[in-house]
Amino acid sequence: MLTRRRFVGYSALSSAMLAYRPLLREAWAQTPAHRPLQLAILCSVYRQGSQMQTLGDRFLVGYPYEGDWRTPEVQVVSVYVDQLVRQVEAAPSPYQLAMTGAKIAPSSSARGIAGGLGKDRAVGALPSAEKAEPAADLSKARSQQFGFRVCSNIPEALRCGGNKIAVDAVLSIVEQDDYPSNDRGQILLPNYDFFQQCAQVFEDEGRGVPYFNHKQLSFSFPQAKTMVETAQRLRFPLLAGSSMPVTWRLPEVDVPLGAEVEEAVMVGVGAPDGMDYDALEALQCMMERRKGGETGVKAVQLLEGDDVWAAQNAGRWSKDLLSSALSRTDTPQGLTVLDGRTQDLVASGVLPQLVKNPMAYCLEYNDGARATLLMLDGAITDYNISVKVAGHDLVSTQFFMPPAPNNLYSACLASKIEQLFQTQHPAYPVERALLTSGVLEGCLQSRHKLNQRLETPQLAVSYQPPSESQYTRT
Amino acid sequence: MPQTNRLRLAAVITAYKRLLHGQHIVDRLLDGYGWAGKFHHPQMEVVSLYVDQRGEGDLTQERADRHPTMKIYPTIAETLTLGKSKLAVDGVVVVGEHGTYPYTDTGIMKHPHYEFFEQVVKVYRDSGRSVPYFNDKELSYRWDWSKNMVDTSHELGFPLQGGSSLAVTWRIPSVEFPLGATAREAISIGYGGMGSYDFHGLETLQCMVERRKGGETGVEWLQTYRGEDFWKAYEQGVWSQALVKAALTRSSTLAPGSPTFTDVFPTIEQMRALVPDPVAYNYQHRDGLHSTMLLMNGLVRDFTFAATIEGQAKPFSTQMYLPMPDGRTTLASFFSPLVWNAEQMFLTGKGQYPIERTLLTSGLLIAGVDSAHQGYQRLQTPNLAAVHYQPNPESTFWRS
Repeated sequence: MLTRRRFVGYSALSSAMLAYRPLLREAWAQTPAHRPLQLAILCSVYRQGSQMQTLGDRFLVGYPYEGDWRTPEVQVVSVYVDQLVRQVEAAPSPYQLAMTGAKIAPSSSARGIAGGLGKDRAVGALPSAEKAEPAADLSKARSQQFGFRVCSNIPEALRCGGNKIAVDAVLSIVEQDDYPSNDRGQILLPNYDFFQQCAQVFEDEGRGVPYFNHKQLSFSFPQAKTMVETAQRLRFPLLAGSSMPVTWRLPEVDVPLGAEVEEAVMVGVGAPDGMDYDALEALQCMMERRKGGETGVKAVQLLEGDDVWAAQNAGRWSKDLLSSALSRTDTPQGLTVLDGRTQDLVASGVLPQLVKNPMAYCLEYNDGARATLLMLDGAITDYNISVKVAGHDLVSTQFFMPPAPNNLYSACLASKIEQLFQTQHPAYPVERALLTSGVLEGCLQSRHKLNQRLETPQLAVSYQPPSESQYTRT
Repeated sequence: MPQTNRLRLAAVITAYKRLLHGQHIVDRLLDGYGWAGKFHHPQMEVVSLYVDQRGEGDLTQERADRHPTMKIYPTIAETLTLGKSKLAVDGVVVVGEHGTYPYTDTGIMKHPHYEFFEQVVKVYRDSGRSVPYFNDKELSYRWDWSKNMVDTSHELGFPLQGGSSLAVTWRIPSVEFPLGATAREAISIGYGGMGSYDFHGLETLQCMVERRKGGETGVEWLQTYRGEDFWKAYEQGVWSQALVKAALTRSSTLAPGSPTFTDVFPTIEQMRALVPDPVAYNYQHRDGLHSTMLLMNGLVRDFTFAATIEGQAKPFSTQMYLPMPDGRTTLASFFSPLVWNAEQMFLTGKGQYPIERTLLTSGLLIAGVDSAHQGYQRLQTPNLAAVHYQPNPESTFWRS
């Protein structure tokens, strides 16, 4: 279906490039030796503190890497900001404005896409006119500073105004802006839509380029699966995922490759369809290293409230592993906040008081291994894991998520993204994100079905982990 | 019930309030802490406690109520003798940090490390017996007293272990200075003020460079730079800009120099704007190693290290990570390795790292403040040139 958005995009009236051509030439002149990799970034929003800003900016200003400030051999040449296009679509048309007697705002007041979108869409100040400054769109300012083209549709971002793919790689950073949710509480993020538009261009031209999809592939496992299959069919490298699997660990440990893993308990915080994806993927990057590699997940269940504690009593998840995972936390709440004391949150029995709405994401793997993600809002604010490995001490660590403003975990991810773009080889299989996307969808379905256990035959995703651990430690 | 075979400790601290060192350290001994994937309960008992200053926010009674085996005594001597005539404990934990004490002429708070030490040692001498002694942070605000503490521990033959948690906390990445390597220059970058956090910056440096070829040889001279002189020295290369860059790339709290950016490497002009009052202690070791401790308030809120090591193509660098309960965490977990190393000293009767490290850093702090007080002159430091020692070849920082 040709939506208005697509039409707007394909009409390709935008010409941000023209305005900034001199800047662009300057940027080119600075790197005469060899052409840096040309990158298109597709994002939901570009405002301070957004994932686009914290991660995408690293391809503009560099990032800390192995004790140096790394300037990627990458030039961002085009950016597509979904929010701007959606705002324009949502804005009343001149006809509607005329009918209601509203004044047509002068085009100069139109915020957002650099260089304007063409006359018909520049009217009616964007709805964000009254939004506070921190939410202000940065794409125009960044475009002026770094000389990239702000595009009004995705094919344009890939072709940079020409009629052929003009980029060497695509980075997609989709995040919650004001996308709707479905009845299962899943935010309908347009990762699949972004991807499909790119895949269409790749297919039309018979040539694909490396594609990185930040965080989950899709809220829908069938869509996620299609993305992976499409990339295989069109033979372009695809990687997806969040920062948590690749960030620093305290201590620097991993599940020994090929070990017999019996059970894992991960603890974290966050509402459903929030940080749970990241935590599940971090859990998965440890689990996939078990003997035989990944075999898929046969059933999931999301428990809530007192059922979470009851499940522990019933042996569904291990109290010892919870205790071990929590020994890694730096953020116990309750009495620690009150007077600084250390606390054994498990032995003291205080958890049910601290955690008003506990959630347990219970995973049963096809090979018999079990894993549980406990979301313990009110007890801690960091992410820790403990894994029971046969013939080995518990393997426990904290996935260290360095705080704002630097959010250094995203620098760890940036290096994996750059590696994908430069080498055309993902540092780890996209199947990790595929399985995790499906697990999350399954858990949210379980929640929707009154916390029933759900068989997940579709999640028979098998893959082998990378032989070397991919978390950051240099 | 306390088991009779468990070591008995006396704790002597300035104050017992939320987030003060006394609270962090004594709480860990009383309540335990997360360690190596378990909740660890020290195999020892704090049986007595002396708190020098109480008042508003004091937690002493709450802790004593929950831990009835710990008795509160009004004097240090009684804390060690448990109210009797002879030393009655197996170890002493002293926290001289925090509290309210007068200042020296040069502006250092007179934390009573030495004053406490004197009283403890009097009991040791009177009892004809000495036990291991843990001293949090620096030795004393006076060099002669610092030196006296170390000499006395050698004379009476008891292990004295102290210093900053910076030396033992997590490192990101988890790397150790290669034992026996030749280093030309080293720096640390931290935050905080002179006479307090400078000690942490100095310990950050010293716990690394003491592992170089030949061990520590002592420090010949020191010069403090501040304000405009700091920037001039920086631009002139008095300390290496490459090392500053290497250290800053290990920071996870780098203030963005440009609005709307959240992680961008600052230019010198941006650093100047961000750091209104920079401080550097620049000093020369006797074997030629050049060290600089930088405090850059406004630019960072963590401690990082970088050094030029012969045979390594690029600077060696890491962050000494402090999970800081200033909003970033709730628990100052960097006290866990400090207490763990103290426990190891009590259990084995051996210091886990040389007290001479702390002697040198205590002296460097005094020299740094003195240099500033004397018009930012370069000061010859014959007292520090005489401090030489060998490191513990085993690493003692947090890795498990």
